[in-house]
Amino acid sequence: MTEVLFFLSAIVAIGGAIGVIALKNPFNSVLALVVHLVALAMLFLLLHSEFVAAAQVVVYAGAVMVLYVFVAAYVGEEGETWTSGGRLQRALALLLAGGLAAELLIALLGTGLRSLADADDLPTLDAGFGSAAAIGELLLTRYLLAFEAASLLLLAAAVGAVLLARRRPGGIPEGPRVLSVTDLVSTAGTGSMTEGMRGTLAARAMEADRLAERRMAEAALAKAGKVAPAEAEAPSDAADAEGEAK
Amino acid sequence: MTSALVVGETFAVETWWVAVIKAVIIALVGFTLIPAAVTIERKLLGRFQHRYGPNRAGPYGTLQAGADILKLLGKENFRPSGSAAFLFYLAPMLAVIAAVATFAIIPLGDVVTIFGQPVGLYGIDVGIGPLYAFALGSIAFYGLVLGGFSSGSKYSYLGAMRAAAQLISYEVSMGLALVGVIMATGSLSLVDIVQYQQEHTWFIVTQFVGFLIFVIAAMAETNRAPFDLVEADSEIVAGYMTEYGGGGFASFYAAEYLNMVVAGGIATTIFLGGWAIPFWGDAPDWIAPFVVLFKTFLFVIFFVWIRATLPRLRYDQLMSFGWKILLPLATLNALVTAIVVVVA
Repeated sequence: MTEVLFFLSAIVAIGGAIGVIALKNPFNSVLALVVHLVALAMLFLLLHSEFVAAAQVVVYAGAVMVLYVFVAAYVGEEGETWTSGGRLQRALALLLAGGLAAELLIALLGTGLRSLADADDLPTLDAGFGSAAAIGELLLTRYLLAFEAASLLLLAAAVGAVLLARRRPGGIPEGPRVLSVTDLVSTAGTGSMTEGMRGTLAARAMEADRLAERRMAEAALAKAGKVAPAEAEAPSDAADAEGEAK
Repeated sequence: MTSALVVGETFAVETWWVAVIKAVIIALVGFTLIPAAVTIERKLLGRFQHRYGPNRAGPYGTLQAGADILKLLGKENFRPSGSAAFLFYLAPMLAVIAAVATFAIIPLGDVVTIFGQPVGLYGIDVGIGPLYAFALGSIAFYGLVLGGFSSGSKYSYLGAMRAAAQLISYEVSMGLALVGVIMATGSLSLVDIVQYQQEHTWFIVTQFVGFLIFVIAAMAETNRAPFDLVEADSEIVAGYMTEYGGGGFASFYAAEYLNMVVAGGIATTIFLGGWAIPFWGDAPDWIAPFVVLFKTFLFVIFFVWIRATLPRLRYDQLMSFGWKILLPLATLNALVTAIVVVVA
């Protein structure tokens, strides 16, 4: 049973990997990579690493590849295909592929063959090998430094993502705050004093949209070199809204 | 291949042919629960909206869901001309397979002896419990997204985009909500979690915040109202399943309802003590599956109730609620639980 599963997942994994580079459509390549990652998770399962297998599917197939699918579906056009590079790129690719093959061969010959030779006295595994508890203990004792370094790197990446995605001056203008925690706690339209001062949630959202549109229009006018007299251009409903708010 | 590995603990208690029979039975039970959930939803929604609901096919309209499924399966299985054939047919299958496979981990009872064979009343007791459900959830996600992308329709595409963003956003909170429970139990196995609750108190008491976050996130994950933006009828027709008819539509539909039942089942297992009955310690073994199903359907009824009560959220509300309220709350819950576990 183990042998059948191993060869099944191994063939699917290799097939998926070939599919990634052989398929013409980028979207299909991404899907082939997903198949490859799921097959790898199967191989992890056969190695008694349930936790790693689940993490592989949840993190790689479930989260990372979703972004790839997103990008391929957003950007990739139906007719768009891979283009082959120039002569230099092809030569470089051959060189790197050869290097990688040599590296893998060394790794295989160094470890794989030796373990085949003395297959009879393989080290036995402790109880609970590959379980979440065992991995957690290893991460917090033996590999603590690597674990902390990786989490620091991830934190830096998260902060970087927030920085890149934040609203900047000159981008889409920021309207008044649309949603806060208190809006979800209180029922809308109950005629509370806050609503009287600031309007209902929907009204504020519409007001924010209108403000954003107007600012974008003003910015476009200003860019075109025209003078944008805000007071003269603004329709009277802005004044009305302000009057109501007061 | 000679496997010289010594596995310290194995989760399988029964012989292999029992496992095969169990897999078939669990799948059949899963598919039987789908029409039950559909019937409950339609009857209850009818009552909530001051009408009868289905009441023609069978006694009290109970055969209506089965009749609908038969009708859908009998229809022509066509596809739009602009669609990608392979992915178009693959997507609904992925959705159903993932849903049924997730149902397998819900423990319907402890290990019992049937005809002299030890049988665990669950599909599998995986050592990674909830992680298995999340892994299959990400497979199911591809069912939705591929269905949307391969249809070659704008509405399907928009639905798939919404599904991608929504499922990723709420999966994080859902996972973090369970961290507290796992820390308290010290095990990822769902059977262990149920046994822990039998010895101590149910987690709905000790992990109430986690329970609330889990149920809300589960509603978003299963595309239930008020988080059903993925298939918001008034905006994008039916989202990712717009172009599907017949068997494909039936598959998506079935997967959706089974996901709802599975979400209820997982919530039952983790927060409502699984097959435990309060103040009745020595309940007979055969009653356990019915207790689990009863509690599960309490959740189904709750989901229907919420659907009948709340209007659909706007998209930015959905996103800011998920990221700015649910996620910090789930993180805080995990943090506080960690401190309590260490101190107490």
